[in-house]
Amino acid sequence: MRRSLLSIGLAMIWLLAVPVSRTQAADLEKIRVSIIPIGDVAPLFAAIQNGYFRELGLEIDTTPSAGGAAGIPGLVGGSFDIAYGNVVSALLAAQQGLDVKVIAAGTNVTDPKLDATGIFVKSDGGIKSGKDLEGKSIGVNTRNNVIWLYARAWVKATGGDPERVTFKEVPFPQMEDALRQQRVDAAFMVPPFSAVAEQKGGLSKVGSPYSDIQPGVDVGQYITTGKVLAAKPEAVRKFVTGLRKGVEWYNANLTNEALLTLISGYTKADVALLKLVPVPTAPLRTDVSQVRKTMDMMIDSKLLPAPLDLDKIIDSQAL
Amino acid sequence: MSAVDRLNVSDRERSEPRSSREWLGGRASGVLLIVALLSLWELSSRLGWVVSAYWPPVSQILAAAFAQLMGGEILLSLAATMRRAAIGYAAASAAGIVLGIVLARSRLLRCGLLPLIEIVRPMPTPAIIPPLILFLGVDDALKIFIVALASFFPIFTTTYAGVAAVDDTLIQTARTFRTSWARTLYAVVLPAVVPAIAAGLRTATGLCIVVAVLSEMIAGSSGIGYYLIETQYAMRPDLMYAAVLYLALTGYALNRVFLAIEMRAIPWMGKS
Repeated sequence: MRRSLLSIGLAMIWLLAVPVSRTQAADLEKIRVSIIPIGDVAPLFAAIQNGYFRELGLEIDTTPSAGGAAGIPGLVGGSFDIAYGNVVSALLAAQQGLDVKVIAAGTNVTDPKLDATGIFVKSDGGIKSGKDLEGKSIGVNTRNNVIWLYARAWVKATGGDPERVTFKEVPFPQMEDALRQQRVDAAFMVPPFSAVAEQKGGLSKVGSPYSDIQPGVDVGQYITTGKVLAAKPEAVRKFVTGLRKGVEWYNANLTNEALLTLISGYTKADVALLKLVPVPTAPLRTDVSQVRKTMDMMIDSKLLPAPLDLDKIIDSQAL
Repeated sequence: MSAVDRLNVSDRERSEPRSSREWLGGRASGVLLIVALLSLWELSSRLGWVVSAYWPPVSQILAAAFAQLMGGEILLSLAATMRRAAIGYAAASAAGIVLGIVLARSRLLRCGLLPLIEIVRPMPTPAIIPPLILFLGVDDALKIFIVALASFFPIFTTTYAGVAAVDDTLIQTARTFRTSWARTLYAVVLPAVVPAIAAGLRTATGLCIVVAVLSEMIAGSSGIGYYLIETQYAMRPDLMYAAVLYLALTGYALNRVFLAIEMRAIPWMGKS
């Protein structure tokens, strides 16, 4: 009996042991940013770590969201001021009448050699192209998103009919297992998973949808809403300025060990693992013509019924 | 009163053999099964029966669990999750018990509220998270609300059913003695319903942790749910499974605490 009382007491103490709330400097304006804890947001973390935002009077509070699922709903609901997200999600949100604004470039794929993403198959399966995948399946992390869109485009570009391929949702961390156990016939994999899988052997990369289909594609952007932009124009401008300094530092330190330590810090991935993955450069500006190409592909895949007015969606600060 | 006493006696009789030698013997074989399964896991990973980056040997997971404990970070994550679970659970308990009793006793409220409750009940919690983000944001308000919502139903349902099933003889007897409505509720209905409420509360203890973890997987930067996603994406399955282990231990410990309270509290309630 006494032991059970003791355990209740311990449980109570444990519940009360709530982390001490962080104190914040009163003179810094707080900006809440939704991020995906992957290599793509390294320039943002570089800017935070190097104090670029602090110099401008901003305090950046990052909230990670796996796959960015909470990014746009949280942005529209007012939980975040800014969200890092992919181009397809941003255009879909705009299509649904949400007042989203692209304020800064995030990630693009310019150098095919540094594109670690790709369509992987089992080396002994005899699949080489989209044509071979007709009647078979491809694993994508989510349907109707950027990965799905470029996987479809790759199937089409390599002679297959995307309508005759089944796209199965498999989370990125489980993609390699799904492929090896033949739950899917091909898998769209991203780093670091692609690099680890490739190293183990037995799998081959048959295509790089981003760099094969649209060299220079703007994959990720920083997005806000028209409401935030109207209410805090100065803070947003400072955010973009600070982020650009972060991008410059990042691009100048691509091979620096300090960059890997930085990425390891917010992703929890080992530096040894990160070393397997090529580090691509980050863009300073959003390329509207690239976003337009993506939009055309979305219309082609029936994600969008008609073109959107990109001048309204992409704020001039991003250019 | 004698009926209430009989109810308690039968309840005590039911719980007594659990703590006897017979039960200990059962526990030993249960432990053996767990050990056998874990050994199989260890072998399947060591001998390469299962080749996957997400199938580390158990010994590696235990080492990770030890390192986590030394680092202290896991306790902060667990505390964050338990805090959300506890607040949501407390709110759900209060609402579930009160509404369960009131609705079972009042026809008017039953007609007004039951259809709404019955419509919301079958909705799977993960499905309503995205729209809720719009109203509640992604912070504690959302997570605690989801925990409370999910925990509410088992507590409400068992309380409601418990009150409805109270032996009518008891109530008629109370009425014969011209007992007031409030006293009938306190001295007759409540003691008879407590076992049902306790069953609902116990179901909800497991559920509140599950839902708290789930809500943390959607958004946020603290708690076990976030930690699980983070370590999965960082390709650290040893840390991931170690966190699951701590979660399982916590759930087990809570259940034990609950049983201990149940054994003490329910006979006492009946005697008042």
